[in-house]
Amino acid sequence: MATQTQTATEPKSDEVVEQKIQKLKELYADAPEVGKAALENGLANIRQELAAISATAGRQTAGRVGARQGKVSELTAILKITKDGAKRLRGLLEILEGNFKGADVVGTLHDMRFVFLDNDTRLLFATAYDGEWDAYIDDFVTKIPTSMDMVFCNLEGWPGIHDANIKDWLVEHQITADAWYVANPNLTVAETRRLERVDKALGEFLDKIA
Amino acid sequence: MSSVKESAENNHPTPAPTVDLDEIQATVLRPRPAPYFGTHVILRVNDAQAGREFLRRLTPHIDSAAAWWSAVTPWLAVGISYAGLEALGVPQESLQSFPVAFREGMAARARQLGDVGVNDPKNWDQPYGKSDVHIGVSAFSDSEEDRRRILGIAREQIEGFSGVSVLAMQDFGAQPGDLNSLGYKDGIDQPAFEGSGVDPLPGQGRPIKAGEFILGYPGESGVQLPMPQPGILGRNGTFVGLRKYQSRVGAFNRFLRANGSTEEERELLAAKLVGRWRSGAPLTLAPEVDNPAVGADPQRNNDFDYANDARGRQVPFGCHIRRMNPRDTKLTRLTDVNIHRIIRRGTTYGPPYDPSALSEADDEVPRGAIFLFISARAMATIEFLQQEWINDGNFIGAGNERDPIVGLQEEGATFIIPKEPVRRRIHNIETFNVLRGGEYFFMPSLSALKWLADLHD
Repeated sequence: MATQTQTATEPKSDEVVEQKIQKLKELYADAPEVGKAALENGLANIRQELAAISATAGRQTAGRVGARQGKVSELTAILKITKDGAKRLRGLLEILEGNFKGADVVGTLHDMRFVFLDNDTRLLFATAYDGEWDAYIDDFVTKIPTSMDMVFCNLEGWPGIHDANIKDWLVEHQITADAWYVANPNLTVAETRRLERVDKALGEFLDKIA
Repeated sequence: MSSVKESAENNHPTPAPTVDLDEIQATVLRPRPAPYFGTHVILRVNDAQAGREFLRRLTPHIDSAAAWWSAVTPWLAVGISYAGLEALGVPQESLQSFPVAFREGMAARARQLGDVGVNDPKNWDQPYGKSDVHIGVSAFSDSEEDRRRILGIAREQIEGFSGVSVLAMQDFGAQPGDLNSLGYKDGIDQPAFEGSGVDPLPGQGRPIKAGEFILGYPGESGVQLPMPQPGILGRNGTFVGLRKYQSRVGAFNRFLRANGSTEEERELLAAKLVGRWRSGAPLTLAPEVDNPAVGADPQRNNDFDYANDARGRQVPFGCHIRRMNPRDTKLTRLTDVNIHRIIRRGTTYGPPYDPSALSEADDEVPRGAIFLFISARAMATIEFLQQEWINDGNFIGAGNERDPIVGLQEEGATFIIPKEPVRRRIHNIETFNVLRGGEYFFMPSLSALKWLADLHD
């Protein structure tokens, strides 16, 4: 799989690139002057970039909802915060001081961000994770139900981690990213940790034989 | 059908059963007989009323799991697909209460199951993956004579009316030594669940909550799984995933020969792929040479964990049994092993394993196994196993590696055997078991079968 995405760089035909350039020009015809000028000045670079887009690249899905690049998936949700929920959730996050030991244990979360929007009435939750989430939701239910409920109880309509319709609730609130860039789409959290260990061991080995 | 042997006082199990054993179908609890003989029959319901009449006639011959620990064979089991429930005229609101993956069917879930390439449903044998697979009836027996007798009983219920037709019949079992089509003793490690009335065997692990395997009881999270409605239909039922594999025996033998120069090396490699010797003896208990006495002893052949094998030197992380039940292996992802276990009834068909088969023609000989995977969340579990534990290696830190026995291998795939001083990485492992069919069935309780038979138009 990995080699497929890396070696399949057969450029698209010039015709396709020109069609895309034409489309861009149409889109930017009524753009502010600075945008129009940027398109004009950047055309050469854009043309190169478009020509390099892999013929096999395309949008992948992370299951029912969400985008996926290689082995990594994204989950973005905007959720209504309950009355006093922002106070509790912000307090909880402050007390944790950014130490998400629970997330470490999950072993698939590349990152997580919590952003309070609209005067603390809504929460932007965004994360990148490995694989498909719904395969593991049942594991969250039996392994970390309290962590899930403590965070999510501050959001409107949270049915509780033990609710049979928990997957549907999450899907309903998820917004698939229109665009999403991943530098290392084939590196899972586990694989990254393994490579770190290998690099350390290799360094020590080379030190010994040097 | 009187299939329960009067058990002597000292045979009686210690923990009293707390699940409704006399409602649950026998196959959920009874292990495969040894030796075993049987037949799977796939049926189409042409007419709802005829289908219900067939169920009414068949139900008295379907055995329950009552006193399953001392039951004697033979027995019959029945499962109904979603298309079958529709064909029987089950009301719409009841149909809608079944899980989505069950309603869609196994073929339609090929993406979630990773059933692509050679395993793609378009390559499946008849009649699998088509919407006219409605009812599956399986006969299990410990003798050929009893197999014929019990199958005859099933056939009598169809004879005389055209509303139900037989699409396929597949005999299974009757293998020398009950070995599977790659030459191994199989079916050893099964999950134990609470309230079944029997203490777990050594190494079987703590009993898992009954609700993981039978609908209507609390599961591992403490709550019941969603159950098909009405309650009489769902309760004490379960789901079955049927997967028919064809073994590419030639490819398997060629792989062993290409990577082992002596018989001893080849047999050790064969053991490393599975985690057990062909005798069933686990590598943990017999790391260097086979110990057939351990393999044959149910008190010993599953009595181990991986506490002293954290680096996979005895049992490779990527081998079949360590994937299918990681036991105490430290996994890279947060995982509750107890919610991904599944009861399996493996039924081998076709000619027995032939160690001298080496040609590509040997790969096409119809022999392999039809597995029945039984769980209250069978669809979710099979999808999980296919995605995470079979066709990936991330959960054990093994990158893209796949299960060497049931995985779908990509070109140039590898299999790592950890050892001192450096691991051995074997190249070009092929797909040894090709998927040739699959279906999801609902296995109703005996009361639910009567409820179905009594439906009206």
